[in-house]
Amino acid sequence: MTAALMNIVLRVNGEDAAVPAGLHDTLLTVLRDRLQLTAAKRGCNQGVCGACTVRIDGTTMRSCLSLAQACEGSEVTTLEGLETSPRLKALQAAFAAHGAFQCGFCTPGLLVSAEALLEDEPRPDEAAVRKALSGHLCRCTGYAKIIQAVQAAARSLSEVGK
Amino acid sequence: MTAALQGLYRPTSVEEAVALLSSDESAKPLAGGATLVAMLNARVLEPQALVSLSRIPEIQGISALPDGSLRIGAFTRHAATASSDLLRGAARVVRHAASQIANETVRHMGTIGGSIAFADPGLDYPPALVAAEAVVEVASATGRRKVPARAFFVDWYVTALAPGEIVTAVFLPPPRSGAAGLYVKHARVSGDYATASVAACTFGDGRIGVAVGACGPTPLADDDANGWLSEDAGDAGIARASARLVELADPLDDVRGSADYRRQLIPGLVARAVRSLQAQLKEGR
Repeated sequence: MTAALMNIVLRVNGEDAAVPAGLHDTLLTVLRDRLQLTAAKRGCNQGVCGACTVRIDGTTMRSCLSLAQACEGSEVTTLEGLETSPRLKALQAAFAAHGAFQCGFCTPGLLVSAEALLEDEPRPDEAAVRKALSGHLCRCTGYAKIIQAVQAAARSLSEVGK
Repeated sequence: MTAALQGLYRPTSVEEAVALLSSDESAKPLAGGATLVAMLNARVLEPQALVSLSRIPEIQGISALPDGSLRIGAFTRHAATASSDLLRGAARVVRHAASQIANETVRHMGTIGGSIAFADPGLDYPPALVAAEAVVEVASATGRRKVPARAFFVDWYVTALAPGEIVTAVFLPPPRSGAAGLYVKHARVSGDYATASVAACTFGDGRIGVAVGACGPTPLADDDANGWLSEDAGDAGIARASARLVELADPLDDVRGSADYRRQLIPGLVARAVRSLQAQLKEGR
């Protein structure tokens, strides 16, 4: 038996959302099942696979390891909330151009982490990309194309900036 | 006993947190969530009340105390520990271990207090804290006490924490010149739990201390082995100390490797750790 549902207010992608959440409900459950924000995926639900990655107060976190009630008072940003980021647009174009996905299940989590990386480090070397994406499992691509795509996105952004 | 707690509590002081936890022993303390929430998701635990430690300023961050010793607040996330310039000398082993935990996103979440309270033998902090001669501070409703890291880890997933007690800080000896520390981890892939690991420190007074991780219920350290390494950190001393550690190891067979494979890893990891310590000292890092 889990504790009763409580009404909480979560700040998601810049808007306050009133939503019911039980004590054991994760942020991922509330995002996907109650707010219909389905970019974050439920893969392992144990913090290993990275498919549920979001930003909480600007930092990448696992939404499956974050309790929804504990996120009250924090700023949550999902992949949907990054829609207007030029870094995200460049990454999406580069992922498509490089064939950096097959089934696509891991892609939203990868994009959240890659977008955060390019914000901190506009021209990451391969080692920096590998480090930033090491918490994401992809069972299709073998990772090489993902890493190439992130570096290509970084190059295209720096050209735009010139 | 007062009435059972229900729901999420977010106290702002250690005293308030331990008062809540002692009023209802079925309530669980919640730190970064990296372990506890995974257990909730797996329904291994179904507590009716959680006491979040995230709003207690006293247990956040790393500081140098007036006597030069270092204090890591229990709620300090792995990412902060992995990048702290204060963790020098032997204490570098803790920074180095933190940098090898899981992956960047999990390092943004997990905390040192939550990690060591879980005490999985495959974790990276336990051998690092034992090698560095760390002391763990714990708090309960009746006050605080300090437990040497070697005594803190008691058995598989068992620590010296009593019901209602929480970790509040980890203390490390003052960094001295000629001291160094590092952590060597062997894992199936980057970010996995260790199959076997070795934490090694030299303290600037000729002493060397090593602790082996993931090869028994608690980090494996032996005074004789450390004494032999301190006398002779060359091939003969390393071989003698490794043989003793292999003899004392009590690893399990699991998906990360057989017990026999783990025993075979120990000498190579000890040798690599001790030689890297010497290289680190030469470079004056």
